[in-house]
Amino acid sequence: MQTTLQSDSTQNETTKRTETFVQTFSKSHTGLVGFWMLVIVVVAAVFAPWITPYEQSSSTSVGVEDIYQPPSVDHWFGTDDAGQDVFTNFIFGSRVSLTVGFFAAFISIMIGGLVGLIAGFFGGRWENTLMRFTDIMLVIPELPLLVVIVALTQPSLSNIILVIGLLGWTTTARVVRSQTLAVKSRKFVLRARAIGAGKFHILRRHILPLVMPILVIQAVLSISLAILNESTLSFIGLGDPAALSWGQMLNFAFGRGAMSAGAWWALVVPGFGIVWVVLSLTLLGQGLEQVLNPRLDTHHLMPGKPAIQKEAGAKPHHPDAVLEVQNLSIHYVNEGKKPARAVENISLTLRQGELLGLVGESGCGKTTLMLALLKLLPAAGQIVNGNIFYDGKDLAAMNEAELNQVRWSRISIVFQGAMNALNPVRTVGDQIAEAILQHDPSFAKDKIPARVSELLELVGITSEQRDHYPHQYSGGMRQRAMIAMALACEPQIIIADEPTTALDVMIQAQILELLDSLRKKLGLSVIFVTHDLGVVAELCDHVLVMYGGVTAEYAGVDVVYNDPKHPYTQELLKAFPDLTKPKKKLSSIPGYPPRLDNLPAGCRFAPRCPRAFAPCHITEPKLYTLKDNHAVSCHLIEGANAN
Amino acid sequence: MPTKLEKILEVQGLKKYFNAPRTSLFSREELHVHAVDGVNLTLRRSEVIALVGESGCGKSTLGLLLMGLEEPTDGSIIFEGQDITHLNDHERKSLRRKIQMVFQDPYESLNPTQTIGEIITEPLIVHGIGVNEQERHERVVKAMEDAGLKPADVYLNRYPHELSGGQRQRVVIAAALVLEPEILVADEPVSMLDVSIRAEVINLLAELRITRQIAVIFITHDLGSVGFFADRVAVMYLGRIVEIGTMLEVLEKPKHPYTRALLSVIPVPNPRLRHERIILKGETPNPINIPGGCRFHPRCPIAVDVCKISDPPMRDFSKMHQSACLLSDDSK
Amino acid sequence: MNRTRIILRKSAWAIFTIFIVIIFNFFLFRVLPGDPARAGIRDPRLKKEAIEALQVKFGLDKPVINCFETLNPIKLGSCTINPMETQFFIYAGNLVKGELGISYHTNRPVADVLAERLWNTILLIGAGQILSILLGVVLGIVAAWKARTSVDYGAVTASLIAWSLPTFWLGIILLFWGSTVGLPVGGKATPGISTYPLIQQWADIAKHMFLPTLTYTIVYMGEYTLIMRSSLIDVLSEDYILTARAKGLNSTQILRDHALKNAMLPLVTVIAINLGFTVAGVIQIESVFSWPGLGSAIFEAVIRRDFPMLQGAFLLIAVTVILANLLADLTYTFLDPRVNVE
Repeated sequence: MQTTLQSDSTQNETTKRTETFVQTFSKSHTGLVGFWMLVIVVVAAVFAPWITPYEQSSSTSVGVEDIYQPPSVDHWFGTDDAGQDVFTNFIFGSRVSLTVGFFAAFISIMIGGLVGLIAGFFGGRWENTLMRFTDIMLVIPELPLLVVIVALTQPSLSNIILVIGLLGWTTTARVVRSQTLAVKSRKFVLRARAIGAGKFHILRRHILPLVMPILVIQAVLSISLAILNESTLSFIGLGDPAALSWGQMLNFAFGRGAMSAGAWWALVVPGFGIVWVVLSLTLLGQGLEQVLNPRLDTHHLMPGKPAIQKEAGAKPHHPDAVLEVQNLSIHYVNEGKKPARAVENISLTLRQGELLGLVGESGCGKTTLMLALLKLLPAAGQIVNGNIFYDGKDLAAMNEAELNQVRWSRISIVFQGAMNALNPVRTVGDQIAEAILQHDPSFAKDKIPARVSELLELVGITSEQRDHYPHQYSGGMRQRAMIAMALACEPQIIIADEPTTALDVMIQAQILELLDSLRKKLGLSVIFVTHDLGVVAELCDHVLVMYGGVTAEYAGVDVVYNDPKHPYTQELLKAFPDLTKPKKKLSSIPGYPPRLDNLPAGCRFAPRCPRAFAPCHITEPKLYTLKDNHAVSCHLIEGANAN
Repeated sequence: MPTKLEKILEVQGLKKYFNAPRTSLFSREELHVHAVDGVNLTLRRSEVIALVGESGCGKSTLGLLLMGLEEPTDGSIIFEGQDITHLNDHERKSLRRKIQMVFQDPYESLNPTQTIGEIITEPLIVHGIGVNEQERHERVVKAMEDAGLKPADVYLNRYPHELSGGQRQRVVIAAALVLEPEILVADEPVSMLDVSIRAEVINLLAELRITRQIAVIFITHDLGSVGFFADRVAVMYLGRIVEIGTMLEVLEKPKHPYTRALLSVIPVPNPRLRHERIILKGETPNPINIPGGCRFHPRCPIAVDVCKISDPPMRDFSKMHQSACLLSDDSK
Repeated sequence: MNRTRIILRKSAWAIFTIFIVIIFNFFLFRVLPGDPARAGIRDPRLKKEAIEALQVKFGLDKPVINCFETLNPIKLGSCTINPMETQFFIYAGNLVKGELGISYHTNRPVADVLAERLWNTILLIGAGQILSILLGVVLGIVAAWKARTSVDYGAVTASLIAWSLPTFWLGIILLFWGSTVGLPVGGKATPGISTYPLIQQWADIAKHMFLPTLTYTIVYMGEYTLIMRSSLIDVLSEDYILTARAKGLNSTQILRDHALKNAMLPLVTVIAINLGFTVAGVIQIESVFSWPGLGSAIFEAVIRRDFPMLQGAFLLIAVTVILANLLADLTYTFLDPRVNVE
């Protein structure tokens, strides 16, 4: 089959990219409003002579009675201090503003962009000199400088454009430099170097396309700032007398008695024009920002969604268990999109002193499940069915106040990658103390430092380091500090979500040993989330294997490893290296995990399953229980051992 | 694995020191981060050698040195008889065709504004390979197919964000293959991929070694994943290779106490084999202050007094197996 | 790298910048066409002796910077004239003594006039900045807390509009409105108020300050709201906030004990950077409301072509901003514990 040539595909790519941009931009209300507002101004400026009823500086002499006439049919916006039609001057004024705005901004962007790019990309002496210069210019106040320079030179329009342009580049330079630095340190730039690309190729092909969006946004902002500057200069009396800008109109009106004459139209109208243009550009800039640099604007304190529980009055099956999860289902609901069915119908039982391993790969829902246990889901997450029984109560049905009693003091959690799990501006000891005091406000204040040291020593951190900040701890230490903090209130259950994934294997061994000994010493129950089958085999009593948000297999550790029944478990074990059998050829599972908002019909693993047969693609398998509490959700089981 | 193949890469006494930030206004001392502190290594055509170690051992820096993306502070690198330790930009560029790299992060290694086709064609354009677009296109398609991206035209116009992690790594490999390199330096190529798809990429590299005779330097912290694929394994600690040998020798008869400790703590997916673990205390020291004598002695479970003074050289245990420890003997 | 070193470095840099401004200020005014120094000397209102005295005082009979009338400072060695006697050094020397020239308009020393006005400007900026920061922070917190609700969208839109308003125009509109409700139309105090008790004097000043401060607050509040909002949203999406929730802290505790301090840091940086730009607002506000400060000094100096006043006012404003910037910058280093390890 004849394949398409490169040039054709390039053109298709460009049109495709433009279409995507326009599509995304249209979703931004702010951007659209700004865009159309700007269009109106540009149209008015271009078609000024056709829109306005009068000539701009009419040579017909005016009498005193024509000055400061209020709005009327003849003069929609009244007349000004010279008897001229305000509406006409208003429309023509847009031309001056737009001209100054675009040209001055052009100069600023060129200079700022170049300075930022060179400083950021070439670094070294270039960066030092250029940025020092930029910093000086940034500190010197802009308007006074503008005023002084224009006052000493001549207030002609081209001069004003030049001066505003020459002084307005500093913020752009800073922003472009930061962006260039950020892009320069990205791995694909390193890879381009590895391929042999030279500096200019990298600049052109890799840096520039990713700096452009920022530059465009800065350009829009620069135009608005230039227009504001020009208006201010004109108002102060430094405008070009030949160009009647909106600022000039205000200068004349203010200085020539519009206030005392009560001629509000002469004051409101020109200013309104400035506000309109500047606002349109600001909104346009915001819109572009949302498209080119999207922010999610969600955070951890946003109100969550209440749990839905379809069966009222459910009771735990194992009242002696420390924690029992029954048929828990969690969806992520985002406006305008299909819900992602992140977790469905998961049940598990945790007993005193038990270590349960939760195994799964990216996108299987294990972190969602853990967060849901303490109802720490993000705003879009919602429990749509099921119960979480703890100490005779259902956590899923509790409100925040009740949950805050349980959180940490009864069930605590250690997150993955403690890089930022501790507040960087508070000491470690302080944050541990906070946990203690939160649940035991009567704890003697003077005994707290000793208690904190005790906890830290349990995890192998010396007392002197209690008052250090998190950034002074290494990665392994931070994780151990997190464990110490998790133990602070002597909880019954600890949830450890991939606590050692980001750590070296030796540090991991230290931490696993620690967890195991703590479990035995304190009678803790632990849920350990990981993708590492080796860790699970070493540590856990029971294993729950998750795939695509559902339970694939749930059994004792020995059974899971030596007699797995679910094809996913079997394949996963085949794909996992075993140091005792170094020559074992590793297999992989073709394909990739399903999208949780677009699940296939039938078993979620079917598309990748080597043993899938007809029913697998049609109906979801139930969870069948074999002997020894061995649960498997697979159609293959149905025939062999009907439940 | 035939040992009669020629040596293509010889590294002698390679060092890389970085300047460490000053801790106070008044210190006059020049502090260095001894990232790579004297490494000797040879590599033969289509051989696979695994460089294993924990963070801070210098394996990634060594990879960058071999790629010429960092300049060595000392030592030499000889490629096919030619000294490539210090080259200017122009000489370096032509070398790029022979030694290529695969990176760890499949999400960041690709420029999100380039299509797959552009990414894989870029190396050809940079080196001026291919007389016209048609020829370049053919080379690109061949590289893609060798990297398992079939049929190629399905992928050509896609963007990186449309591909999975495994597919992206294949794109990175294809972009390296299109230059027809002789050595591939793979820096943790699978650690950011799901376990169930790691074998895909590792198997691909194993295949390439046979079909294209490419030698692979496989840098990883995960000893387990290199078992079936590496010919030799080199274990690094604080900038040096402390043990090197064939894969079976190192994994089954380790001589260096660090290797032994490392092997003992790597979790094995077999609950019936819960074995004795040698867990070292503390953490790898800062490479700014390398301990005197044997650099491993502060954490070594069997260190004796002489270890604090004497920096052990590499001792031979067999033709391929060497270890830098004064205490290891042949009986184990 | 520790704090002392950082403080020293930043202070040295600020001093260097001031030095640059002085040099620039000097050259701008002496070298550009319409050399104001000489123009002033030709003022026919002055007597001959006075003119001569002025010439000596400002060194106008001496070369500008060295042997040459031009800007070539390079050939110092071959010069027979004492460099201390060039115009530049005389100017610099005068500066150190606090001598800023004589205003053309009032014939009073510029330094005297500006000294009176400096405090008025500081009063106005002080009140305005405090209010705009307070209100901006509060509104920003509310917007971030209620992110993506109509409260948030309203706050953001209002802030964007406020940011787009030209300061002087807002001033004019408020002044117009104020005149209809009986507020003073300009100045700092009602004439003759100084005979009244102090309390009433202050009340009078407050009445005059109301509209200018309101203008300042509205214009700058918008920006602070937006910064605070985005900074707080960023902080609240960090992992340690989730940890705090998991620890059982309620939202108020989390906001107070974990989020605010971190969210304020970028705000301090922005306030520092902004100082140069808020001066622009001050010039406009003082001009519209005839508030007797440094800003209106510039305004009046421009209208009256009073160059010594313009030069002096510019210098004073620039130096004040640079020092304020330094202060804000140093405050940041004390707030962020991570700065110890740069």
